[in-house]
Amino acid sequence: MWGLDITVESGGQKMKLEVKNIRKSFGDKEVLHGIDFQVESGKALGLLGRNGAGKTTTIRILMDVFHANSGEILLEGKKFVPGKHSIGYLPEERGLYPKRTVIDQMIYLACLRGMNPKEAKESAKKWLARLEVSEYETKKLETLSKGNQQKVQLAATLVSNPEIVILDEPFSGLDPVNSQILKDVVNELIAENRIVIFSSHQMSYVEEFCDEIAIINQGEVVLAGRLKEIKKEYGKNRLMLAAEDCSLEELARKVEREWADLARVSDRKKEFLILELKEGADRRGLLAALARSDVEIEKFGGYEPSLNDIFVEKVGEEE
Amino acid sequence: MKRFLIVLRYELREYFSSKVFMVLTAVLALAGIILLFLPRFVDMSGFTGVNVIGKADEAQEETDPGERPLLLYVDQTGIVQPEILQQMFPDADLQEAADAQALIDSVEAQEAQAGFLVTGETACEYYVYNKSMTDSNSAVFEQAMKMFYRMEYCRQQGWDLAEITAMYDVPVTVTEQILNKDSGSNYWYCYVLVIVVFMLIAYYGQMIAVSVTNEKSNRAIEVLVTSTSPNSLLFGKVIAGAIGGVFQMGVILGAALISYQLNREQWGGMLDMFLHVPGDVLLAFAFFGLGGYLFYAFLFGAMGALVSKTEDVSKSVSGLMVVIMAVYFFSLLQLMDVDGPIIKVLSFLPVSSYSTMFARMAMGSVALWEVALSFLILVASIIGTGMLGAKLYRMGTLRYGNPIKIGTALKDLRKSE
Repeated sequence: MWGLDITVESGGQKMKLEVKNIRKSFGDKEVLHGIDFQVESGKALGLLGRNGAGKTTTIRILMDVFHANSGEILLEGKKFVPGKHSIGYLPEERGLYPKRTVIDQMIYLACLRGMNPKEAKESAKKWLARLEVSEYETKKLETLSKGNQQKVQLAATLVSNPEIVILDEPFSGLDPVNSQILKDVVNELIAENRIVIFSSHQMSYVEEFCDEIAIINQGEVVLAGRLKEIKKEYGKNRLMLAAEDCSLEELARKVEREWADLARVSDRKKEFLILELKEGADRRGLLAALARSDVEIEKFGGYEPSLNDIFVEKVGEEE
Repeated sequence: MKRFLIVLRYELREYFSSKVFMVLTAVLALAGIILLFLPRFVDMSGFTGVNVIGKADEAQEETDPGERPLLLYVDQTGIVQPEILQQMFPDADLQEAADAQALIDSVEAQEAQAGFLVTGETACEYYVYNKSMTDSNSAVFEQAMKMFYRMEYCRQQGWDLAEITAMYDVPVTVTEQILNKDSGSNYWYCYVLVIVVFMLIAYYGQMIAVSVTNEKSNRAIEVLVTSTSPNSLLFGKVIAGAIGGVFQMGVILGAALISYQLNREQWGGMLDMFLHVPGDVLLAFAFFGLGGYLFYAFLFGAMGALVSKTEDVSKSVSGLMVVIMAVYFFSLLQLMDVDGPIIKVLSFLPVSSYSTMFARMAMGSVALWEVALSFLILVASIIGTGMLGAKLYRMGTLRYGNPIKIGTALKDLRKSE
């Protein structure tokens, strides 16, 4: 079982949220088989997985919408009671009241999460201004563009100034300018020491924000840990190679023909091959062999895989 | 409780800020008020049988004799007595035409409104250019002809017509002493109240179901259930619907009842059967009607949560509607036999007591303990349906896709417990 640590520091105090061995069944079918991860304040956790992997069910259990069959969720080592903490949840399936005004429903949601009407109004105005949609506060939601509706949804998520923020595909439907605004907001949330759980299929965003990741596949955490270390681990014994005087196909054939005892081609990118060193071989030996050959080396160096590569490899492996 | 009140307030704003809701309420209430105040300002004596003091005389005085319609007659038998005929047509000018052709020509030229050609002691022809829906001239003339015939017959026989008439129409005084309920006069307002409560449940119940499904289909529920408890959401929605429904029905019904009380004399009491409802019956109607509404409203809310699209709502609530319709028809049928065994049983079942118990109270014999027991059962059932509705709501709200059958939902609920 994989373990992962994420901790929050709110008002100067670090917090740690731990999800321990959560199991959940619908009818006779068990959909979560012992989900296990931890999150700290001031860091973001990337919760990744294919569609139907169990991310949303895990989030709903975290928010007490579903009850787990077994396992526990702890905050600061004590049983986590969602009703006692402010949680902001941006669901993947966006939804507010299309026929009500923006400000009305934001105040409503803030009040439901424990604010008084005055605080709720002030906070709603603050977040609408921060997300640059103040001009629409008295408009009905359905009259706004998709991008602006998305920003209102995010404002509604954050209106209660939550300690724990769960963002499910927050960037979908946003243009580059709005994406930048959202990136800034997410960075601010992390800087304010909130616990941020970030779920997305857009791996570039996860790489940008998350120090830690947890990949869920078929109801199990198949990979979890610090992203930097995972990348390092996955890049170990991997090299990138490109030549000036031959195509990648020719180069791949050459590797398999002439240096098969040193490396094998594990993948092919647009501009270079990814080689994996064989047991007993090292980078220096391969470089020496390349130098002895007639290949004009264009690119040679250590390869650090992208999160996308790791995700595809890990989830593909488990299929 | 605090969250429930927040939901309640938000849902109530939905009703009270809706222009359609407020305008419809105001228009229907105003229409009732205007209609029931009419006899104060318009002479409706022909309909109500009551002359508004001063109004009838004024109306007569104001009528320009030149504007009174002209009615012609030709008497080929010599039976017609012009003075009596004129008395029977007080709002028209009666004139004798020279002959049948002159009468027809005048009517055709629309110089006369109509004409009567008396061809025998018991036969006449009525000529009119365009006969209106309310034309009663021939009926009045027929009465006049009968009277002329009787007068002539009595004269020939040497009888006293006044004496014979007095003998035939001898007045008999019957004083009714109703010791308990007057079913005859209570029947119609019970009938109306059964319809009112049926409409309240069916209309607002469907509105609640649609409102719940809407939150599912626009995915607002995703945010709502993670912000507060499903119980607060369902109870807030149902109670708001109850307040909205009671407000609307209360305003419309209240306006009608009060307006009628203020104008009862002018109406000659002719609408007593619908609108002169005793206070205790109204009170029973309010308690049982509201109870029945809440009983069904929770179930409507739960049914709404079992589907994801508003077009599936009618299918989801169809089972409930069948029960409500059956109760409605049985209640109306059983009004004819309010002390019968069927209505007695129905008045204790929570699915039907909302309409049958107050009907029994209004029209039949019912002991106080029966009313109390029936109400207790209804209250307990409301709590039961409230809890069941909240569980179904919680289970159904985040399950999208095909509609969930109620049997499947209950089975899943049992398993999860």
